[in-house]
Amino acid sequence: MKRVASQLPTIVALMLSPLAVGGGDAFAAPAKKVLVLGVDGLDPVMLQAYVNAGLMPNFKRLMDEGDFKPLGTSMPPQSPVAWSNFITGMDPGGHGIFDFVHRDPKTDSPSPYLSIAKTHSAERTLKFGKWVVPIGSGKVELQRKGKAFWQLLDEAGIPTTIFRMPANFPPVGFKGKSLSGMGTPDLLGTPGSFSYYTQNPEEVEEDVGGGEVYKVSVRNNRVKAKLVGPKNSFKQSPKKKSRKSRKGKPTEYENPETKIAFDVYLDPEEAAAKFEVQDHEFILKEGEWSNWVRIDFEAVPWLVSFSGTVKFYLQQVRPSFKLYVTPIQINPEEPVMPISTPADWCACLCEKLGYFYTQEMPEDTKALTHGIFSGREFHRQASMVFEERRRAFEYLMDEFEEGLLFIYFSSVDQQSHMLWRYSDENHPGYDPTEGLAGGIASIYQEMDAVLGRTLEAIDDGTTLIVMSDHGFAPFYWGVNLNTWLLENGYIKLKKPAQQGQHKFYGNVDWRKSRAYALGLNGLYINLKGREKAGIVRPGQEYEDLVSEIEDGLRSMRDTRNTRNGQEVISLVTRPSRDFHGPLKDSGPDLLIGYARGYRSSWESPLGEFPKQILVDNDRAWSADHCIDYRLVPGVLLTNQEITDVSPSLIDLTVAILDEYGIKPLPEMIGKDCLHSPAKRQVSAGRKR
Amino acid sequence: MFSPKVKLDRALYETAKKYSEIAGYSSVEEFVQHVLEKELMQIEGAESEEEIRKRLKGLGYIS
Repeated sequence: MKRVASQLPTIVALMLSPLAVGGGDAFAAPAKKVLVLGVDGLDPVMLQAYVNAGLMPNFKRLMDEGDFKPLGTSMPPQSPVAWSNFITGMDPGGHGIFDFVHRDPKTDSPSPYLSIAKTHSAERTLKFGKWVVPIGSGKVELQRKGKAFWQLLDEAGIPTTIFRMPANFPPVGFKGKSLSGMGTPDLLGTPGSFSYYTQNPEEVEEDVGGGEVYKVSVRNNRVKAKLVGPKNSFKQSPKKKSRKSRKGKPTEYENPETKIAFDVYLDPEEAAAKFEVQDHEFILKEGEWSNWVRIDFEAVPWLVSFSGTVKFYLQQVRPSFKLYVTPIQINPEEPVMPISTPADWCACLCEKLGYFYTQEMPEDTKALTHGIFSGREFHRQASMVFEERRRAFEYLMDEFEEGLLFIYFSSVDQQSHMLWRYSDENHPGYDPTEGLAGGIASIYQEMDAVLGRTLEAIDDGTTLIVMSDHGFAPFYWGVNLNTWLLENGYIKLKKPAQQGQHKFYGNVDWRKSRAYALGLNGLYINLKGREKAGIVRPGQEYEDLVSEIEDGLRSMRDTRNTRNGQEVISLVTRPSRDFHGPLKDSGPDLLIGYARGYRSSWESPLGEFPKQILVDNDRAWSADHCIDYRLVPGVLLTNQEITDVSPSLIDLTVAILDEYGIKPLPEMIGKDCLHSPAKRQVSAGRKR
Repeated sequence: MFSPKVKLDRALYETAKKYSEIAGYSSVEEFVQHVLEKELMQIEGAESEEEIRKRLKGLGYIS
């Protein structure tokens, strides 16, 4: 029998049993300890390979003495969807998150938006000249439905701490502690938008998604620049492009951007510079990062300001000045948006740990994708993120006395996305020049060290679960699904000659189009009564069309070069048929499961129509998991026995509740997949 | 086939005519149509949609 935890005496087991943990009674025994390490993107095949190579002794120990199985993920295997499955024990039909990107079907052309949270402005305002005062505040609303498992633990009186759980922004209310993770924006409301100051912006791509590039000049060894902050919702100014119409149409107004001026004084001889930003002064050498710097954008003088934090990276002083500034983080000391429960827990964490990245996935993949960072610079920045997380892990472990503790790590996921091509000779973007071939192995080893520290710290009564939301696969080829729909007659363009020139479905003739792809795995029918310009009638016409497209997609083959006849799509699912719950009809009509090596192209998810259906992916983002979910399971590793032959995320939710004797909600569709010694002891005790 | 007409003031029409000839367009209509198409393509991707796009593109997964 494989076990890390020793068999406990019955009396101890009874103390740890579900009967002993509820209620919040001051005299109750401490609640059983369950520790969950959530490692985004930890892949079971890679993990086993590194273990076999002797690189991960702590994972090997847990595999040998505990139990290890691939963990079934969600369809689609995108992180917000997968983590929502784990959080709620439901599939997208229950929690309503089908993709990173959803769409509003009631606009002229389907409007995409980020799926996790929605922002509502204050409904009423008062205007005083150029100032606009909101009456009541706007709000940010989590779009995921269903109860989180820790809310159920909370109701049973189990102390719970949830650190950076994805798809939990703003964090759901409960009496425990939580800090939001994936889905949390930067201060500008984006997933993360860096600022890059350079004398030569022409060296950088024109359209840099995920950041802004600013041209600066060096005069007398001095650079004057501005950090652009959030829009000032308290102020209005005339729109720059707006011209008063000849027919007297009133001038249009917008909320102006807030800005902070800063100065950089270059050392005339050395490759170093002094920075002056608000009240802060610091010196950086070329290639050096600053510590976190607090900055405050003034919205209403003396009354309202937006507080953020940034780090400066002095990339180059001469011959051309280059400065990278991180996305502006929500300052955990004074958060402008709700990022923790209780609301001041983020400030407590800040007091203990110092400032930290609060944005959702802080590894700056976009800076590498667009050539702002080299591979090594990305790796260094990603290592800083990991170091912050490791410090938080140490602190949380020291504080962990009872109940459930969940700690999330993003590093394996983000580094697997970006470093894959450095070691894969078959990748169209293979790059052996940066010496990063061992980059992914090295972050796996860092996680092994975390696990080693964990195994040292936990006692025999603690249930330990190491889990991931999905695994990984190479991303060699992009599929322009909208182009496939166009070439197969399901989409018509208003101006066929302008194919590839429009964004956001701008050239689509909706009166003649029957289907469209949106998001990373979604395909929608242009359905009458649902889409604003829908033409496909519900019922038989809809069913026939869905079947026809499904058949067509499944028979798509890659006939280029040596990949003659290779399957491109290995799975197509229908949410309305395959999912459970009241929201199963609210998502895409089909979910596309790409075969290994393929993924949605870069352009198709937001409604662009490049000329080719299949294209090589030579970008830095060289591995992915948004494919057929059966090909990218996650990991389940525990010091308990895994009783299910093929456990999945929704089963793990039930298993965690069962650790505390809490029954799953009727809408939860998983089943318990763990068997712990304590549970066995308790059931034996009851028989007696 | 019905084709909608748009009124231009005389001065603008004359200017458009002058530049359509210089640029080698076969008619003022063709020139105006081309200019409008170019402008609309800018607007399609501009302002609020552009902001949404920027937000979405901040996701590593989307270009």
